Amino acid sequence: MNDIVRETPDTAVDNLIERTILDIGIPPCPIILERFTTEARQDEPDFKRLASIIGTDVGLSAGLIKTANSPYFGMRQRVRSVNEAIVILGLKTASRAVAGLVLSKAFPNVANLERFWDASARIALLSGWLAQHLNIPGLRAEDAYTFGLFRDCGIPVLLGRFPRYENVLAAANVDVTRSFTEVEGVELPTNHAMVGCLLAQNWWLPEEICLAIRHHHDRAALESIDSRLPVLSSRLIATAQLAEYIVQQQLGLSLTQEWTKLGAACLRILDIDEGSLDALCAEAAPVATSSE
Amino acid sequence: MNGIDPLTGLLDRFGCLQTAEKLTATSNCKGRPFAVIWIDLDRFKKINESFGHPGGDEVIRKLAVRLRRVGGRAEISRMGGDEFVLLVPECDRLQAEQFARELTGAVEELIHMGNMTLCPTASIGIAIHDREESSLDLLERADRAMCAAKSRGGNGIVCSGDEPVPGRLGITLAREELSIESTLHVALETGGLCLHYQPIILANGEIEAVEALMRCSVNGVNIPPGKFIPVAEKTGLVARLGEWSLLQGALQARQLQDAGYHTKVAINVSRAQLISPKFSQALHAALICSNVKPELIELELTESLFMDVCDTVQSNLRDAIAAGVVLAIDDFGTGYSCLATLKDIPAKKMKLDRAFVTVLPEDPRALAVVRAMTQLGHELGMTVVAEGCERQEEIDILLEAGVDAIQGFFYARPMPDEALLKWLQARNTK
Repeated sequence: MNDIVRETPDTAVDNLIERTILDIGIPPCPIILERFTTEARQDEPDFKRLASIIGTDVGLSAGLIKTANSPYFGMRQRVRSVNEAIVILGLKTASRAVAGLVLSKAFPNVANLERFWDASARIALLSGWLAQHLNIPGLRAEDAYTFGLFRDCGIPVLLGRFPRYENVLAAANVDVTRSFTEVEGVELPTNHAMVGCLLAQNWWLPEEICLAIRHHHDRAALESIDSRLPVLSSRLIATAQLAEYIVQQQLGLSLTQEWTKLGAACLRILDIDEGSLDALCAEAAPVATSSE
Repeated sequence: MNGIDPLTGLLDRFGCLQTAEKLTATSNCKGRPFAVIWIDLDRFKKINESFGHPGGDEVIRKLAVRLRRVGGRAEISRMGGDEFVLLVPECDRLQAEQFARELTGAVEELIHMGNMTLCPTASIGIAIHDREESSLDLLERADRAMCAAKSRGGNGIVCSGDEPVPGRLGITLAREELSIESTLHVALETGGLCLHYQPIILANGEIEAVEALMRCSVNGVNIPPGKFIPVAEKTGLVARLGEWSLLQGALQARQLQDAGYHTKVAINVSRAQLISPKFSQALHAALICSNVKPELIELELTESLFMDVCDTVQSNLRDAIAAGVVLAIDDFGTGYSCLATLKDIPAKKMKLDRAFVTVLPEDPRALAVVRAMTQLGHELGMTVVAEGCERQEEIDILLEAGVDAIQGFFYARPMPDEALLKWLQARNTK
């Protein structure tokens, strides 16, 4: 695997990554970029730490996953997570491309996204932990993590394009009857779930993750016996929703009404009875509140 | 992982694979038949939903006891969920079918759960080991036969070889098509799809647009569009491929726009996409993600789609126009062209099918039709394009007949994105 990487000219790979990351169109979190450059400037950068920093940013992670999956590397196995992508690209190549991106300031800054990035990273981390801890059948912790990270990747895209989208989000967050995407549909011709699904397909993420992104506010798809949603997709949705609920309980970050609308269906999918939820929340609290 | 299923005490999947491997080796060595019987309970999901997972587990345990009772010398495994596999040494097809009927009888005994009585049934697949066949292939055949029994409505037995081959999406396909379907799934998850772009050139040499054409290649093997597109249409995968190309084509248009080329990218849209109430959301999502000017995106649809009676199709077409994208009629003249409705079609471009072009120099009647169609297109305010042009003499005749733009190998073959940029730079036609 590494032989393939070594044989490819570095600049070609750098260009490929940079172009791919630019394609993604999601602004990276400024704080993450700052942390990344600070670490990369050290005389002996901690590669493990660099990897974990990239792994908490949707735009950079998507870029790396898509690049690693591109036919350029000719990998038979598809890459499903940032860690795997870094293994395939080589940390050096990946880091250099990201560092180049920071300098080129290719992305417009979208204000007030820090809280969003923070919540995404926490939900992703906790989703991975839940998948492992609850031993959810067929669900890999890596997939749960990846889904948690990309679930809402449509939001920064829409924030960058529609000035009024912040108000739409605020309205959708407090609506207790209509689904999140229905509220978006009143003001916009599309919604963040559809945008996210199209992006995920374009990044070559597995079908179950793409469908989970598309339907993560779709109560009917989660509840219906005849739903055509793959079981793995519904488990991904339920795990991340539970993670979001726990994070919100612990930190009071970006409070939404999603648990009121989807919580019961999620618990049923994960086979958790309501009585044991408090104990689970207590166990998960250290993961939900960890600083990285 | 010790090979034992904790719920039933039967072999688990791992144990089953190990045992199957041993039996396969013995069967190869001694040349005696060996059978795999794959059992899947019908409607088990409903049992789980009605009685919860503990209730479901209880049913599985009871069935395991029954299978043990009638199983004789078979090695019995639980493959997970509600699936059981019996490996029966020295058993031919007739014996296996007889055995499967006995198993059916055991499964169908009533089960009492609280004050309710369940009447379980099962779908059963049988495969007999072929010499030199691997244990995995053998198990897979048994699984497929079981799926065939399930797709016939369940409560039945199918022997491998008798079943139609079901695809991943449950649609009957020939074997080659099945392999293409599976390749398409791999392509969608490993970057095996790409778009190639073929320029459409105006009489004055300017580029009118480029048409995006999908290519599929997995592990270095190219599958021609003529093969994978019919399979994608048959399996419904075409909707997903279509969404993928919508965004990919829009990103390409954006890249061209950024490079200073205001060249439209024409993207093919299928009926499977247009009958979805979510088409408009997907189109807008692609426009938003790429941040491209909508007028640089052209959707190519066959004539029949413009006349589709489905309300959703029509409302999607209205939404597309409202979004600012351009519509084009693809393959014009070969479908059931209806002049009465042509006047109502909101397209800005008419693409004459290649069938007219290839016979042009020799067939004066084809030329008459091309002239008439071109005039009709112009009267309706459309740009007229001829597809499939390969020779200078064809192009001369077409331009003489009033056609506005030419697409075909004569000018350029479809090419990957980087090659397209170089081609445009070489022509210097910003």
